[in-house]
Amino acid sequence: MSEVGASRASWNTYRDVEVSFKVNGKEVRVRVKPYERLLDVLRNKLGLLSVKEGCGRGECGSCVVIMNGKLIPTCLTLAVRAEGSEILTLEGIAPEGKLHAIQKALLDTYSMQCGFCFPGVIMASKYLLDKNPDPTEDEIRDALDGNICRCGSYLRFIKAVKLASKYIKEGKVFFDESEVLR
Amino acid sequence: MFRFDVYVPKDLRDALEAFKIYGEELVPIAGGTDLLVLYRQGMVRFKALLDLWSLRNELSYVKLEGGLVKIGALTTIDELSSSELLKDKRFAGLRDACKTFASPFIRSVATVGGNVGAAHPLSDITITLLTYDASVKVRSLEGERVVPLKSFFLDKRKTVKRPDELITEVFFSEPPNNASSAFIKLDRKVGHGMGYVAVGVYAELDGDVIKDVRIAFDSMGRAFPERALMTENALRGMELSERNVDKVVREVLPKEMGRISDYRASAEYRLHLSQVLLKRALLGVGRRVRGE
Repeated sequence: MSEVGASRASWNTYRDVEVSFKVNGKEVRVRVKPYERLLDVLRNKLGLLSVKEGCGRGECGSCVVIMNGKLIPTCLTLAVRAEGSEILTLEGIAPEGKLHAIQKALLDTYSMQCGFCFPGVIMASKYLLDKNPDPTEDEIRDALDGNICRCGSYLRFIKAVKLASKYIKEGKVFFDESEVLR
Repeated sequence: MFRFDVYVPKDLRDALEAFKIYGEELVPIAGGTDLLVLYRQGMVRFKALLDLWSLRNELSYVKLEGGLVKIGALTTIDELSSSELLKDKRFAGLRDACKTFASPFIRSVATVGGNVGAAHPLSDITITLLTYDASVKVRSLEGERVVPLKSFFLDKRKTVKRPDELITEVFFSEPPNNASSAFIKLDRKVGHGMGYVAVGVYAELDGDVIKDVRIAFDSMGRAFPERALMTENALRGMELSERNVDKVVREVLPKEMGRISDYRASAEYRLHLSQVLLKRALLGVGRRVRGE
């Protein structure tokens, strides 16, 4: 019986747990506390600042990332659960120096005001477009209904996702910075 | 907030063994969309979490076996809604419940077992499962026991499940072809809405006559989902028509339903909504059975 509990974390020690996973295509190995959230590990230990803490209770959608092909709230995910997974954050959706069609479309529609919700909105839009390249307005509303934007740019997000879907269908997934409206 | 340990079990047996060492201070966590929110609000205390996610290959499935529809406790809401089995009209209510369940990223981690185990009135999947007269399978080292879902809850956040038991499966008998169901939840906002009122209806029709009907609400007075048994009895054997349904929701439902007033809605409003939504759901099920 002694090995039960000893493999990962034992009683009341809060011992660090070693977790390895792939983030944006790169293998990483970090030591985390058993009570740490994936949100804190991605932000503080891996420097992925696109993962934002809004409400911290799964209501606002600012901290969502795509983990093993599923959109998940990192504020409600224990870091130890990342073991062996593949995580995609906003930093990894386009190659260095390029913008993804969703980012370009959001800029084209002048969606940004404060931009705090953007990483979440972009990940939720990408999750939608990956599964459904040609969504209807209702499907876009459904896909983004967990993302709160206090500036109220919701209607522009819908326009942007439609535009991004058009770009992607035309084969234009990535854009150079020079092509993006200033 | 406080610190805690996490134990990641190798399999179900290992998970159950862990209770022997840690006792009641070990709390199982599935999707975490309820527990970790309570933790952040300081409403629960525990010394360690038993991370059930590693048991997903054992406990995540939706299947039909021997006339029973079996749903593994760790099936996520996403997986439930996209399962081939539930595409059938007989399960329309479960699909409704999945569709209006929280937001996309919560649906991809929240589980069926968690929804049942949370014992919260606004548990959409639980309300729908009640209308299918589902039962819950719980396992401990002593073995397995089956508890009907309708006698699973004792109070808000209290169930008959002992701390050393784990929910492994929810199952119900396969409905006949002349049956369908519906689930309706109403709230001002979509996406995060818990709903002021939620109702699930399952009905079996014989022509236009209601052969069997089961109705469940988020609350009938106590703070957990329950069946509206008097209303069901009144409807059984009746012709499913707007007039009949209207009469029953007006005369019978208020007799057995107790609603509370809080900052979200008043008791009168909740009762009125319950009546309107029940009528809508019943007539909707009728249309679904007839294939309209």
